[in-house]
Amino acid sequence: MIGCSPISGGLKQFIMSGTRMDFHIPTVRSVRAMVDQLPNRGREAEMLQEMGLSSMEDLFSDIPDDVRFKGELPLPGPQSEEEIISDARRLLGANADMGSRPSFLGAGLYRNYVPAAVFQLVTRGEFLTAYTPYQPEVSQGMLQAMWEFQTLISELVGLPIANLSLYDGSTAAAEALTCAVRVHNRKASQPNTVYVSALTPPDKMSVMHNYCQGAEIDIRTIAHNDDGTINMDSLKEAAGSCGVYLEQPNPLGVLDEGLTGVKAIIGEHTALIVGVQPVSLGVVEAPGHYGADIVVGEGQPLGSPVTGGGPLYGIFACTKPYLRLMPGRIVGRSIDVDGKEAYCLTLSTREQHIRRHRATSNICTNETLIALMGAMHMALLGPDGLRDLAHRNMMACQKAKEVLAATPGVRIVHDAHHFNEFAIEVQGSAAACLDYLDSNGIIGGLDLGRWYEGTTNQLLITTTDQTTLRDIESLSAQLALWAAHGEVSA
Amino acid sequence: MSHLFNHNGAENTGYSQPTPLACETEPTVPQGLIRSNAARWPRLSEPEMVRHYTWLSKRNFGIDTGFYPLGSCTMKHNPRVNEVIAQLPGIADIHPHQPEHHLQGLLSIFYEMQHMLEVCAGMDQVTLQPVAGAQGEFTAIRCIQEYFRHRGEDQRTKVIVPDSAHGTNPASAAMAGFEIVEIPSLADGRMDLDALAAVADETTAAMMITNPNTLGLFEADIKAASEIVHQAGGQMYYDGANFNAILGITSPGLMGFDSVHFNLHKTFSQPHGGGGPGSGPIGVKAHLAPFLPGPLAARREPTGDERPSAVDEFWYHWHQPEHSIGKVQQWHGNAGAVIRCWAYYRRYGSGLKAMSEHAVLNANYLRHAIHREAKKAGVDHLFIDGAETDVAKHEFTLSMQPAKDALGISAMDVAKGLLDRGYMAPTVYFPLVVPECMMIEPTETESKDTLDTFAEHFAQVLKTDPEALHAAPITTPVRRVDEVYAARNLCLRHPYEE
Repeated sequence: MIGCSPISGGLKQFIMSGTRMDFHIPTVRSVRAMVDQLPNRGREAEMLQEMGLSSMEDLFSDIPDDVRFKGELPLPGPQSEEEIISDARRLLGANADMGSRPSFLGAGLYRNYVPAAVFQLVTRGEFLTAYTPYQPEVSQGMLQAMWEFQTLISELVGLPIANLSLYDGSTAAAEALTCAVRVHNRKASQPNTVYVSALTPPDKMSVMHNYCQGAEIDIRTIAHNDDGTINMDSLKEAAGSCGVYLEQPNPLGVLDEGLTGVKAIIGEHTALIVGVQPVSLGVVEAPGHYGADIVVGEGQPLGSPVTGGGPLYGIFACTKPYLRLMPGRIVGRSIDVDGKEAYCLTLSTREQHIRRHRATSNICTNETLIALMGAMHMALLGPDGLRDLAHRNMMACQKAKEVLAATPGVRIVHDAHHFNEFAIEVQGSAAACLDYLDSNGIIGGLDLGRWYEGTTNQLLITTTDQTTLRDIESLSAQLALWAAHGEVSA
Repeated sequence: MSHLFNHNGAENTGYSQPTPLACETEPTVPQGLIRSNAARWPRLSEPEMVRHYTWLSKRNFGIDTGFYPLGSCTMKHNPRVNEVIAQLPGIADIHPHQPEHHLQGLLSIFYEMQHMLEVCAGMDQVTLQPVAGAQGEFTAIRCIQEYFRHRGEDQRTKVIVPDSAHGTNPASAAMAGFEIVEIPSLADGRMDLDALAAVADETTAAMMITNPNTLGLFEADIKAASEIVHQAGGQMYYDGANFNAILGITSPGLMGFDSVHFNLHKTFSQPHGGGGPGSGPIGVKAHLAPFLPGPLAARREPTGDERPSAVDEFWYHWHQPEHSIGKVQQWHGNAGAVIRCWAYYRRYGSGLKAMSEHAVLNANYLRHAIHREAKKAGVDHLFIDGAETDVAKHEFTLSMQPAKDALGISAMDVAKGLLDRGYMAPTVYFPLVVPECMMIEPTETESKDTLDTFAEHFAQVLKTDPEALHAAPITTPVRRVDEVYAARNLCLRHPYEE
């Protein structure tokens, strides 16, 4: 086997020398497959000898025999890059990507166009392969980019402070709740209590429960009216609690003017936390301008593909009273020893590597690179581009509403202002309707029966800047057929 | 300097967008919700934007720039093909709520990754949902918490953590609602079994520990520690930060652990991206599996209808664990990171052991080379090993205390001197048990030549005039940054009024 192999001189020499080696060389092919990642393959003997060791095994003499793994890992053999990419194309090619068919699935993740420059720049190795900027002198690029990101987000949501990302929209919302309790608990007449919109998607609610249960925070819900807006009587119960979480647009796509009156009702000592779809803020008022104390949201629509649900980036912005108790990393502008402008991480005493179990959050690794993609997208958009992008989302949504309102067997559930998604009622079960649409090549939205009780005949229809007239017409035509088919079978 | 907010081009500068769809009625925002003031974002053309970020990138140091021996961070090379794969539409453009028959490729890769991690860790079930190491810790501790609640052992309210642990360990356990019991390490940095035995009791829910420890030493008594905790009725949690040292050689399962998290961005080369994204799957023994966050990837025989669209002889589907704690991230975790790490794992397959062997070979060789070059340069009296040991694992520590005593040179000075020589600095001042600590982890992807040259430079830094070293770095985009100034004069966003 060795004789016919094209292995390098070093390794050959080492094998010939007869030194005992425990590591297994399964096939010549696998040696070649792994060698691109292991530059010292073939130089082991030389390195060991210099250290006065005789085998790789000597490096592990400190691991007791009773915990040693015996034999080879029961996994398939190594592959070359060509084989890996070929398998990746085959397997990922078997997924039904949203670009290959009309898709109306959103529900928190949105298929918006991300400009090519974003991908080209974010894969520059200096950004891609850097660690957290603990050595600021050689990390000024990422630090400044994140300081700029903080500014872009701060301006977007209308609040003075933003961190440089949490994991996603759900953990940002969950951390906002625990942050609100830390800040307001002492003065709250309902201590350890927060109120959350009853429309909050259950998966997001589940994340909130996991994050809040450790601090024994009671999460109560706020009811909504039949038209999708917040129920003000229900909201009044939240006064005196530590925080209120509402979304704008809400999870059913409804823009609710009522949120502008919430802060006056809940008062100074209850945090108003607003969850946003960031693109909407091109046309919709920044929550900071109507009393929000904390704004969170899923950053993905700005800068990132949907990517199967991650990596994403969570937006977290707040006012000053929350600053020292907020989660996540923050970049500050400073100076170097020569008085030159420089950037560094700051307010680190809130964080786990210093404060340990008293930290404001356990977060360490965050979503910096995805936030960077967001910053790049925002920089290319500018304020006018964001307004246009928001407008395109709304126009696509309006068009879909107009077409579906005229489609037999379809009813628009809420007579309201929508941003880029809305609920419809279909004939029969939404799940069966989705299957029917799928068999006709359309991803028909979200079955709202997955989220709420009593909505098993409703779909959440999402449009984005990628939605075409043809997509909408196909959906309408198939929903009409479904209605007819449904009537027949009934 | 290039400043994003100095770009104030003409209105509508930016990237061009298509005409919106035409509607019969113009959609409106409710009167009271119309945006009053546009965000004061800059206006850049594409060439300006590209130049700005290219300029920024040149002021940043990544693995691609140079050797990055940052202890505890496993800064190995990130193969570029992984980035190509992660941008394929079959991952970039899929939605987690699509039906299972749309996601057979993704599900099969998830299943393969769960299985691979189960095999490598000696665990029974893995979930890929946690998106970072700290979230993995939190998730595993939550599972342990629910496990005890399920058994009616609500009195188990404490988590034991060695004082040398990463800060995320106590922070994660505290976030789940546990009281932290910190136990001191022995003088040599190893775990103190007597201290553990003294605190492990019927109130213990878990012990969190990493092995090899933060000094890069294998805790030979780990099985005894597991026995102490298990005898007290508690669970053992393995922090996978240092997993790169042991793959295919030992496993948390063999050491007696009940749960483990993996840092895919360390061991399996998801790029760190300047601070994230990561991926922090966890693995557990069967008794904890019903509590994992869901859904998990599972597989079965396909039905006749399914067979044509199956990617192999199985049909892959989501599975919800019976007593699941619920979600820790709203979707299925960082799927894009999992795909990259799958591509990385496929390079090694059954040969993953070679990866860890070379990581340990390189660490020990670099330790040797640093001592060798320091001796040649006559500066070997200026540092000592952070821990006395014949062999280290994937990383090692040095104490610069002698340099501090003799010449006033601190670990930070050495770190900054290395920056001037084109290297990323090792981790400094961690773990705290080593005075003036430098923690060095070369990883398996560095060549012997790189290690030799670094060792020479390390010795040369110690020969530098102390005054000059206090002034280092001088060749970097900025010199030492005043962190106190940053904290006292908080400037967390662009001050438009200036």
